[in-house]
Amino acid sequence: MIGVDDLRAAAARLKDAMEQEFDALNAADGKLGDGDLGVTMRSGAREVAARTDQMPDDDFGMALMNAAQAFTKVSSSSYGTLLATGLMAAAKETRGKASVEPSKVAALIAAARDKMMARGKAELGNKTVLDSLHAMVGALEGADDPAAAAVTACRDAQQAFRDKPAQIGRARIFAEKSVGMDDPGMLAMTRIVEAVTGRK
Amino acid sequence: MKKILNDPESYVDEMLDGLCAAHPEFYRLVGEDKRAVARATPGAEGKVGIVTGGGSGHLPVFTGYVGPGLLDACAIGQVFASPSAEQMADAIRAADRGAGVLRLYGNYGGDVMNFDMAGDLVEMDDIETTTVLLADDVASAPPEEADKRRGVAGMVYAFKIAGAAAEAGKDLTDVTRIAQKAADACRSVGAALSPCTVPQAGKPTFEIAEDEMEMGMGIHGEPGVWRDKLKPADEIAEEMMDRLLADIEVASGDRVSIMVNSLGATPPEELYILYRIVKKRLDGAGADIVMPLVGRYATSMEMAGVSFTLCKLDEELEGYLKAPCDCAFWTVK
Repeated sequence: MIGVDDLRAAAARLKDAMEQEFDALNAADGKLGDGDLGVTMRSGAREVAARTDQMPDDDFGMALMNAAQAFTKVSSSSYGTLLATGLMAAAKETRGKASVEPSKVAALIAAARDKMMARGKAELGNKTVLDSLHAMVGALEGADDPAAAAVTACRDAQQAFRDKPAQIGRARIFAEKSVGMDDPGMLAMTRIVEAVTGRK
Repeated sequence: MKKILNDPESYVDEMLDGLCAAHPEFYRLVGEDKRAVARATPGAEGKVGIVTGGGSGHLPVFTGYVGPGLLDACAIGQVFASPSAEQMADAIRAADRGAGVLRLYGNYGGDVMNFDMAGDLVEMDDIETTTVLLADDVASAPPEEADKRRGVAGMVYAFKIAGAAAEAGKDLTDVTRIAQKAADACRSVGAALSPCTVPQAGKPTFEIAEDEMEMGMGIHGEPGVWRDKLKPADEIAEEMMDRLLADIEVASGDRVSIMVNSLGATPPEELYILYRIVKKRLDGAGADIVMPLVGRYATSMEMAGVSFTLCKLDEELEGYLKAPCDCAFWTVK
């Protein structure tokens, strides 16, 4: 079972990882966007980590909601708001439950993916973070080692889309230039999943 | 580019402090991090609230248009960056007088996402919200993809018209309908001569040669329709009017308002040179011009350039356009 203490530990690992990835994420984003993805992720992860003592021990959903609000407070970037949207969707699914079975994680990621798709007005296949989430949902079905499967799915999706053009958002303006480049949002999701699962 | 500032990080906060210090009769800062501006004197109990929001760097848009007969509150982001959902929720709460709140703002991905999120946040406070987006920039997408267009100076007309409808006591459904009608009635096009510098970035938003202009460029330097040698004023005005009139039908006897707006550095002298052609073209179409607006209404800091906005009126829109309003940047008596 995954409990609120596991979430707190994951938040601490996420903060450490985002401190380290600050420059790399800014640089990846700067090629196609405004170059602040590292800023978004570092300030978001710092705020989530700073609030872990406010997470209620007996409510996984409220703990996730707490993490979502951390992102809405410190960041207004599209990526930060999308992450908060996804976290809120997962929070609604788990409200009132003290813990979550690992087999239910795929459903939580699917709920996040769907709400983020609606809010971001993007579709699967557009070379966005949605494609990373979608790949994880598929890979987690019946996986023996869900954490490893999630990390592999993110890395594989990132690589599979590398040579495709971006189809939405600011990167769309640079569609041709984006061929051969990692989508910054997919790259960030790989780093997030590596950090929260502890499987780098 | 030389800029008068202290620390780039505090550019927006210091601007807001000065704005409120200069005009305490209109503006007050609200919210935990003081990134929402509300009317100094809130609207009447039971009045529909109107909020907007967006990045800094466009004064008088967005913040300046908070005032009687206009907006109730506004969330302000860093220069050219969306405010956060929390800041927008602060603005919505400040605008709420118990009759619901209209979110009226420009069609930009980050702003849309954050205002939608802000709607989720204030749902917990039982505040009903509606949304009308401005998508008036004809150069940003073809007519068949009009919903992808960016929102620019047309929002000034929408603020004015929706603000007057709310002040007149219309309910949320009606204010939203009227705001949508105003948004649908506006078409804009811009042309840029030089870029501006975002303080935190420290370098110009785009590069352009000394003798060049770009037709159709967006208010944040988004790519336009063409870039070429700078043309004479009359030719620029003719092409911009061509683009507007190709996108919205203006027939003999129609009543329209027109805004000739400086993007920041272009002086009023040059706007009036352009206005001669604007007037000639609308006269030529047989249209009656109502309340022409010539000046700085929606800017991009020190960018040199101009935008035209045409607002096609019916009786209802014209009535609200002419109704009184007051703020530090625009008064209609």
